[in-house]
Amino acid sequence: MYCYFFHLFIYRKKVRESPKTLPSISFLLCSKQSFEFFPPDSVTCSLGHTPRAFNGPTMSLRVLNPNAEVLNKSAALHMNINAAKGLQDVLKTNLGPKGTIKMLVGGAGDIKLTKDGNTLLKEMQIQNPTAIMIARTAVAQDDISGDGTTSTVLFIGELMKQSERYIDEGMHPRVLVDGFEIAKRATLQFLEKFKTPVVMGSEPDKEILKMVARTTLRTKLYEGLADQLTDIVVNAVLCVRKPDEPIDLFMVEIMHMRHKFDVDTRLVEGLVLDHGSRHPDMKRRAENCYILTCNISLEYEKSEINAGFFYSNAEQREAMVAAERRSVDERVKKIIELKNKVCAGNDSNFVVINQKGIDPPSLHLLQQAGIVALRRAKRRNMERLVLACGGEAVNSVDDLTPDCLGWAGLVYEHVLGEDKYTFVENVRHPHSCTILIKGPNDHTIAQIKDAVRDGLRAVKNTIEDEAVILGAGAFEVAARQHLINEVKKTVQGRAQLGVEAFADALLVVPKTLAENSGLDTQDVIIGLTGEHDRGNIVGLNQQTGEPMDPQMEGIFDNYSVKRQIINSGK
Amino acid sequence: MREIVTVQVGSFANFIGSHFWNFQDEMLGLAADPYGDPVFKTQSLNMDVIYRTGETHQGTTTYTPRLLSIDFQGSLGSVSSKGTLYGEGSNEPSEVVTWAGHVSTHASEPQKKNLFLQSLYQEEQDAPLTNGINGEAKDSQHEIQDTDISLYEVNGLWMDAKQFDNYGIGRDVFMENLRGEEICDKLRFFVEECDHIQGFQFIVDDSGGFCPLAADFLESVSDEYTNTPVLLYAVRGPSSHMSLSSRKQTVVRDLHDAVSFSRLSSFCKMIVPVGLPSLSRSKTSTFLNIEDENPYHCSAVYAAALHSTSLPFCMEPLGPTADLSDVSGAVDVNGFVQMLAGQSRQNMVAILDVAMPSPWKQDKQSLLRNLQPLTPEVAEDVDDLQAVESMIVHGAIGSGGHRLSVSEVKNAIHGAYECATTRPMFCHLSAARCPLPIPLPFPSIFGNLVGQHGELLGSPILGSSSRGSLDVHSIPMAARMRSSRAIMPFLENRLANLHKFGIERGCPGTELLRSWGFGKDELEDMGETLSKMVRTIGPHSDISSDSD
Repeated sequence: MYCYFFHLFIYRKKVRESPKTLPSISFLLCSKQSFEFFPPDSVTCSLGHTPRAFNGPTMSLRVLNPNAEVLNKSAALHMNINAAKGLQDVLKTNLGPKGTIKMLVGGAGDIKLTKDGNTLLKEMQIQNPTAIMIARTAVAQDDISGDGTTSTVLFIGELMKQSERYIDEGMHPRVLVDGFEIAKRATLQFLEKFKTPVVMGSEPDKEILKMVARTTLRTKLYEGLADQLTDIVVNAVLCVRKPDEPIDLFMVEIMHMRHKFDVDTRLVEGLVLDHGSRHPDMKRRAENCYILTCNISLEYEKSEINAGFFYSNAEQREAMVAAERRSVDERVKKIIELKNKVCAGNDSNFVVINQKGIDPPSLHLLQQAGIVALRRAKRRNMERLVLACGGEAVNSVDDLTPDCLGWAGLVYEHVLGEDKYTFVENVRHPHSCTILIKGPNDHTIAQIKDAVRDGLRAVKNTIEDEAVILGAGAFEVAARQHLINEVKKTVQGRAQLGVEAFADALLVVPKTLAENSGLDTQDVIIGLTGEHDRGNIVGLNQQTGEPMDPQMEGIFDNYSVKRQIINSGK
Repeated sequence: MREIVTVQVGSFANFIGSHFWNFQDEMLGLAADPYGDPVFKTQSLNMDVIYRTGETHQGTTTYTPRLLSIDFQGSLGSVSSKGTLYGEGSNEPSEVVTWAGHVSTHASEPQKKNLFLQSLYQEEQDAPLTNGINGEAKDSQHEIQDTDISLYEVNGLWMDAKQFDNYGIGRDVFMENLRGEEICDKLRFFVEECDHIQGFQFIVDDSGGFCPLAADFLESVSDEYTNTPVLLYAVRGPSSHMSLSSRKQTVVRDLHDAVSFSRLSSFCKMIVPVGLPSLSRSKTSTFLNIEDENPYHCSAVYAAALHSTSLPFCMEPLGPTADLSDVSGAVDVNGFVQMLAGQSRQNMVAILDVAMPSPWKQDKQSLLRNLQPLTPEVAEDVDDLQAVESMIVHGAIGSGGHRLSVSEVKNAIHGAYECATTRPMFCHLSAARCPLPIPLPFPSIFGNLVGQHGELLGSPILGSSSRGSLDVHSIPMAARMRSSRAIMPFLENRLANLHKFGIERGCPGTELLRSWGFGKDELEDMGETLSKMVRTIGPHSDISSDSD
C-alpha cells in the first residue's frame, strides 16, 4: 500500500509538439461515468502523457523540471483512489456464477466476449499509472495462480475506497497502512487455520477436485456445459500428473475446431495435431500404428557454396539430381528400413511425425512404402507425443531402433474445409492428452478456452496446495469476523482503524456476489455475519440470498489463489 | 515452387507492407483482367511464391498473402482483423451460447480509421475522380481474402504508442504471456504448408520497441529453421529521424540504433537498412513530390523498391533454351543472399538503391546515375573494387514509347557498365518487361513530368503539381542492392556511438543499457561484431582477402 499513498506529487512533462492535447487531471475524478463504457480498443483513462508518480519535494522538482505539473497531496491521492475505483467498477460485474458476460465491441466492429478478468484487463488500454499498477498486479496474479484476477482488482479497489473514508476524516495514510500490515498478517495466519486440508496420495480424491473445478467453471460457463467440462478438466490433469513431479499443464494440448456444438467438446486421450499429411495418396486412416517422433530434416537443402550444375545430356542431369539428393534419400531409406523391420508379418502401420520439413520427393518415397508422414509438428507436440504414445524423440537416423517407436491404436485425419486435423488416439498409457474444444463460432470457442484454462489451473493448484478454501464468500466473512473480534483488540491506537478498513474491504467479495445476483447487499451481509457470530461457517446461496454451507454445496476455492489475493492487497 | 513467407513487425513496416501488398494485388488483378495490358499477363512471374491459394466453402479461389503482421492492438483501426476489407458486415453473435447469465455490451466508439486509411481517404477527396470508369473496372476483379492474414496484435502492454520507442521498453514483450510461442506457431502454420520454402522476408520497423520483439523472434526463427535464409529490411519511418531536444534523448536514440542494428543483424543472413531522414530532399525523389513527414507517402516509395527487389524471387527459373522475352535473371533468396553477402568479403549489410520511375535515355550513364540510395548514412562516390551488385530493371520504356524487351535492357545495362568509371566486381542483372502497376489506393506523389506509363515528359503537365494513381497507371522501375564499401559511415556511426555511450569507462549509457538487459560483456561482444563488420569492408580488407 505504501506505493499508492505516498505518491503525493504528480508531475508531468509537457511534451513539446502537442501542447493542445494536454488534458486536465480533474476528469479522473469523474471515474464512474468515464469507466462505465469501457471500450476495449480506445484510450480509456487517457491522460495523454502518463504522469509519473513522484515522491520528492515540490520545489526541487520545479528546479529540475520547470515544466513539471504538480498536484497537491490530497488531489494526487484522490486521483490514485479514483483510478482504483474505476477499475473496480469495470470488473465488478464479472464476479461469480451470476456475473455478467461482457461483449466488447471494438472500434472496427469486431466483437469479443469475455467474462475473464484477465482477458478483459488485457483488452483495455489503461493509461493511468495507478490503474496500470493494479492491472499488473492482477495479471501477475493470473500468471502465478491462474485465477483471481477479478477478485484482486475488487479487493484493491475496495481497500482504496475504505481508506478514502478514513483519510478524508483526517487520518494519516501511514498509520492506516500500519493497520493494513497487521491485518494482512493476521488474515494470512487465519487462512492457514481456515483451509480444509486435502490428502493427495497416489490417488487424489477425485470428488474434491471435481468440486473445485466445477466452482471455477461455473463462473465462466452455463451449468450444463460447466458440469460436462468438469470431468474433462479433472481427467486431463490426472492424466498428465506424475507422482512426485510438478504438473506441467503444457502437456495438456488445447485444440479447437469450428465444428458442431459446444457440448461436443471432449477429452482425447492422445493427441490432436492441427495439420495433416501433405501427400494426396497417403492413408487417411491407419490402425495399430507405430509412431516415430523425430526431428530429422528430410528436405533437400542447397549447399552453402554456390556451385554450378553442368551437364551435357539428359542422363547426366538425372544422375546429378540423384547425387544431390542422395543424402536426403538415404535418411528416408533408413526410416523405411525400420518400418519394414517392425511391420513385417503383421498388419500394423507406421506413422512419422517430424518436427523438421519433409519435401515432396521424400513424401513420395514414404508414401510408396506405406508410411504416413507429417511434417513441421509443433515443438511442444514432440514432447507431448512421446508422453502420449511412448517411445522417444529421435534426432538422427543413426539412432533409429524399434525401441524408440511409440504406439497408437488409431491415427486418422479429419478435414474441415481447408483445415486438416490429425488424431492420434487409443494410446496405451497416456501422460499427455488433448482437450478438443468444439463450438459453432469463434466466440464460443474462446469462451470455453478461457474456462478450460482456468479449470485446469484450479485442479492443478488443489493438487499442489493439498488444501482448499470454502467458497461463496465464506472465507471472507469468517476472516472479517476474526479481524474485528480478535485482532482489532490486540492493536494499539489508531492502527485499529486500519485493521477495520482491511476487514471491511474483505467483504467486497460476498457483497459483489450478492449484488450480481440482484440481492440486497446489506441483508446478505447481516445474514452472513450473524451466522458466523453463531459459529456456523456459511457462504452465500446466490439463488435465494440465504446463508448456506459451502461444504454441502461443494463450493471450494483454491488456497493459493486466496493467499495471493491477500498478499497483493499490500 | 519456392515459397517466401513475409513477416512485418512494427507500424512503419506495416505501412510499407500495406503498399507492398497493394502492388501485388494490382499485379494479380491486371493479370486476370481480359482487357488489361498484355505485358502483365506473363507466365514467367509466379505470384504463388508470396501467396497461398485456397478455396472457400463456396468453391471460389482465394489468394492470401503468406504474411504474418505484428503490430499494436487497435492499429488496424477501422479494418476489422477478421472480416474482409470489402464489408461483409459484422457477424454479430445473436446470442451467447456459453453463458446463461446476463450479457452486457460495451461498445467503444467507432474507431478512427488507421493512419493508412486516413491518408488514403484524404487523398481521394483531394483528387476528385475524373477518371471514374477506369477505377471501377480495376477494383472489382480481384478480392484478396483478408480473412486469413495472420495478424498478431500485441495487447495488454498498457502504454502509449509514443512511449514504445526504445529497445528497453520492448525487451520482454516477446517472452511475456506466451506471446512468443503464439507468434512462432502462426509462422509455423505457413511454413508447414510450404514444399520448398526459399526464405523469409522480414520487414522490421527498428526504430522503436518492436525491435527487441523482432530480434527475439528472429532468434527463434534462426533456431527453428536453420537452413532457411532470412532477408531483413530494417525500415525507418520519417518520424524516427526527428531531431531531439535534449542530449539524453539523443544518447538513448543513438544507443538504440546501435544495439538494435547489432541484435537484428546477428540473426539474419542479410540486412538492408531502409529509410532516409528526408526523402523529399534526396535525389531519389527527383521526379516525385513527397511530403517528408507523411508516412503514407514515404512508405509508398520504399514499398515500390521492395516490390522490385522481390521480383527476381518470383520469376520462374528457366532452362537455357527458354524464351527470354518476359523475364530473365531469376534467383532465389538463398542465391541472392549468397551472391551479395557470401562472396569473399562476407559483408551482410546491403544498400538499396532505386530509380522511381526509371527514365530510359540514350545516354547510358544516366541509367546508373539515376539509382539513388534509400539506405541512410551512405557514402557517395566510393571506389570499391570488390563491390557486388544485383540489379533489377522492369518495365523499361524505350525512346519510342514502346516497352523494351529483356535482351535490349540487358545489353544496355551491360553497355552502361562497360563505359562506367567505377565498376563493381560482379553484377547480377534481372529484368522483366512488366512495370510497376500503380494501384488505386496510392498517394499522389508523382511530379508533373511523369506520364501515364511512367515515361518522362519533355514539358510539365499544367494544372497539377502532383499526380496520383488516376493519371499514372504504371511506372518503370529500377532497383539495385549492392554490397559495397559505401555502407561504411553507417556502420562506423553505430560502432562509434556504442563505444562512446555504452562501452567506454564513465560513459552516460551504461546504466541505461544495463536496464535494457545488456551487461558489459555482451556490449563488448556487440562492439566486437560491429568492428568486425567494419573491418571486412575496410580498405585493408583487400589484403586479407587476397591472401586466401
